[in-house]
Amino acid sequence: MKNGKTGTIGITITIIVLIIIIILSNIGTERMDIMKNGVTKIFMPAQNAFVFIKNKITGNEQEISDIEKLKEENQKLREENTKLKQEERELEILKSENNTLKEYLNLKNKYGNYNTIPAYLIEKSYSNYEKVIVINVGEKDGIKINMPVISESGLVGHIISVTQSTAKVQTILDTASNVSSGISTSNQSILIKGIQGNNKQVKATSIPAESTLMPGDTVVTSGLGGIYPKGILIGTIKEVINTKNEMDRYSYIDAATNFNKLSTVLVIAGNQE
Amino acid sequence: MKKVKAALVLILIFIIIYFLQINIFTWFNISGIMPNLFIVFALFMGLFLGKKLGVVLSMIMGIILDILVGKTIGISGIILAIVSLMGEYFDKNFSKNNRIMIILMTIGSTIFYELVMYMINMAVFQIEADIPNTLLILGIETIYNIFLVIIFYPIIEKVGYYLEDIFKGRKYLTGYF
Repeated sequence: MKNGKTGTIGITITIIVLIIIIILSNIGTERMDIMKNGVTKIFMPAQNAFVFIKNKITGNEQEISDIEKLKEENQKLREENTKLKQEERELEILKSENNTLKEYLNLKNKYGNYNTIPAYLIEKSYSNYEKVIVINVGEKDGIKINMPVISESGLVGHIISVTQSTAKVQTILDTASNVSSGISTSNQSILIKGIQGNNKQVKATSIPAESTLMPGDTVVTSGLGGIYPKGILIGTIKEVINTKNEMDRYSYIDAATNFNKLSTVLVIAGNQE
Repeated sequence: MKKVKAALVLILIFIIIYFLQINIFTWFNISGIMPNLFIVFALFMGLFLGKKLGVVLSMIMGIILDILVGKTIGISGIILAIVSLMGEYFDKNFSKNNRIMIILMTIGSTIFYELVMYMINMAVFQIEADIPNTLLILGIETIYNIFLVIIFYPIIEKVGYYLEDIFKGRKYLTGYF
């Protein structure tokens, strides 16, 4: 009889404990976490002590030292990884420098018969009416006013002012720019001017009446005017606009140099002879 | 001390605008046409700093710009100084608390600056007049300037009144006038 009572009490206590556990496990993870943390803090030192003794007895020390080794190895690998990333970055920089130097070399080879000074673009004019660029070479590099500036593809412009370390270049796109030029198919000269608000084309004017211009003809500098040497490519004729008066006709020329992507240039300091 | 701080704020604004004009707007443009925040800056110096300081600072700013990227030294300085004078005139006759007024002032200043600049360039460099393209550029540039003024109006207003309090020593009037 006594045993039966004890059994009923035991079952009741067990059910109550289970209900408490179920409630506790469902009251929200945050509260459970607090409880878990509290419990862990209390029991962890004792637990560690137990594990240590257990390992001593069962010879699991090796595993612990392995973990330590793995940690060290992990640290070393991380350091190596950082080093490799740094090297990769340096390689990227070298690659970009190499490309710039290659561009310079290509330019040098192309215009081998001129004494040239390589430079790169550092600023562009903020005005919509002026097409002026600033390059990173100046008086100390031997740059002088009126020296022609070219790119890998063709004519860029000429130097209009110089400081010790920089120079301003009036590009052929500037409306104030006038370049005496010739068409590849004939010896007649025409005048090239910039077009307001156009970054890709220039305008050919003063076309002789007897001259036959065709779309696709290339336009090069004529060597007249005293600034630009003869034979530097300016662009190709895109469209010829005929007017009533033949003397007034003009044409649009696609500039050989892509001014939107221009970064490296050469300043012509004179002929090599 | 306050004036030194304000001067530093002005230099910082100039540097930020210079960076935006020379680097950002050269590729962030509307069919190759860039805004001109220097005009807006000169106008606001006239509006908030007064005639003397606004004109002097705008002229210095213009000369620096001419030295750095201009074709002729001095022209931008003079025209920006005049824009600043216009700012002072606007301040006396209109309310700068009204966003619409600020937009109209920006339109007026941009058109004035660019047209005068273009005419001087035509005279100095003997450029042929290209009215359709000039008007197109002017229109796009003015619209771009208006957009930027609308976007930055809260900052411009805040910084403007901060500077006005320091240099003019007066509190701004609310929009009842």
